[in-house]
Amino acid sequence: MSSPRELERDFATALLGGPEAAVVREVRADGLAPAARVAIYRNHVFTTLTQALEATYPVVVRLVDPRFFAYAADRYIREHPPAGPCLFEYGESLADFLAEFPPCQELPYLADVARLEWAMSQAFRAEDAVTLDPRWLSAVPPGEVGRLKLRQHPSVALIESPWPIHRIWRLNQPGADPEATVSLDEGGVWLQVHRADDEVVFRPLTPGALAFRRALASGGDLKTAAEAASSADPRFDLTGALTELLDEGLIVGASATAGITPSTDRGGPRCTPMPRPC
Amino acid sequence: MITRDERSAVRSAQIGVGLRAPHVAEVMATRPAIGFFEVHTENYLGGGPAVTALERLRHDYPMSLHGVGLSLGGADPLDSRHLSRVKRLVERIQPALVSEHLAWSVGGGAYLNHLLPLPYDEARLEATSRRIEQVQETLGRTILVENPARYLRFTRSPIPEPDFMLELARRTGCSLLLDVNNVFVSCTNFGEDPVAYLQALPADAIGEIHLAGHTTNDAEGRTILIDDHGSPVAEPVWSLYRLALARIGEVPTLIEWDTNLPELSVLLDEAARAERFSRAVADQERHVVAA
Repeated sequence: MSSPRELERDFATALLGGPEAAVVREVRADGLAPAARVAIYRNHVFTTLTQALEATYPVVVRLVDPRFFAYAADRYIREHPPAGPCLFEYGESLADFLAEFPPCQELPYLADVARLEWAMSQAFRAEDAVTLDPRWLSAVPPGEVGRLKLRQHPSVALIESPWPIHRIWRLNQPGADPEATVSLDEGGVWLQVHRADDEVVFRPLTPGALAFRRALASGGDLKTAAEAASSADPRFDLTGALTELLDEGLIVGASATAGITPSTDRGGPRCTPMPRPC
Repeated sequence: MITRDERSAVRSAQIGVGLRAPHVAEVMATRPAIGFFEVHTENYLGGGPAVTALERLRHDYPMSLHGVGLSLGGADPLDSRHLSRVKRLVERIQPALVSEHLAWSVGGGAYLNHLLPLPYDEARLEATSRRIEQVQETLGRTILVENPARYLRFTRSPIPEPDFMLELARRTGCSLLLDVNNVFVSCTNFGEDPVAYLQALPADAIGEIHLAGHTTNDAEGRTILIDDHGSPVAEPVWSLYRLALARIGEVPTLIEWDTNLPELSVLLDEAARAERFSRAVADQERHVVAA
């Protein structure tokens, strides 16, 4: 008899479409072939995980047809089963999978539409955070603003695509004009996704604003972020970009390196408190 | 290990329904008369408006957090990150009841999204007891453990399921969540007697009952019931529920519905039916006491 861990590993292998002989040996027939009993469980695993992916990627489902999506999901689930029990966190790598999936090569924009849908579903579930009062920023001496690091709301995601994925997404919403079309020649888009007033929204940014926010999100200070933005877009205007960011209410924390903040305990980076709703 | 009276907020006579996302707006707007709501813990481990709504409803209704992802019956160590997220939600919602399943769901590093069966033997009994204790210590409260719907049994599984559950309750102080539909489904699938199963359970350890619908399927000429929570409670399950009530007395009872979700009113009608049965038992008990 296999050990508990071996039994679970063998069962998991069978449930994800792999060989089932090892687990079938451990199952009583009870009037029905053991393999048929294992198949009941396997069917549930694939059905419910496919449903979870459909819930996260409704536009992708529409674009490829539900039957094809179920086929692609079957392959994806075998190769990339969930790592944890929260199904709203399952499927992050579906975009990369679709980008490489041979039958999807005729839809070059599909993976980026999936990235947009993933960002939207994550934004809906992202942790809550309270907007930082912008007066804190005005108290920073002008010469030291460049070393500030700003933390954006946890729901913020930044996506750039060579395809007009925002228009593709809108035309595939319930109630959209079925006669409307989108031309792939319209070109690409730089998008910000975030949650505002309990709703997930997205809007186009300039390439400079996207580079700016992306640099901030990866931990760069304002000076670094402004340089990244300027190289992406020579017309980038730091004051305008910073004002826009504050007006959107998406800054939830700020820190600076030692030396420009008021005294800190250890002289290291200091973060403003981030109030949480509970 | 009872650190607080967890049942105080759900009276034994109260009937609840499972709260699912499509019904939340209606519940927020109409505040239906219902004893409590139960939600799936794993759906609320992020932030955002879903959790905020739950927090608001918590002011008006006792809440029950019903988990599917702790893999209590598993062989791998408990997922400490998942357990700490559950703990944070428990602290935030302050639920009346916290429950999980006698099942496993993580194997070979993959989460399989199913309540999978385990062999019932002494080694598993000891291991599962330790895991329940670990959860109870982390959460600072006792939990309820539910009997799963089962479609297979292992060749070497010497302990009957009700005895296994009874022993879990005895060793850990956990309560039992008796899913009457699961009893009917599992017993039918193995040709066993659901009444005998009910009678083998310790009445005083049962802290909650679940009722739900199932489907009837033909598998190679044999009837197999599948616990899909997608239809009204079946008549034989109502009969078993009444038997259970007669044996246990009133106990918080939940109508679960997950697939083919109907209007909220259908769930409330099912809850009203459960309440009639529950009240009839209480009346009978009062009659006996008065006599």
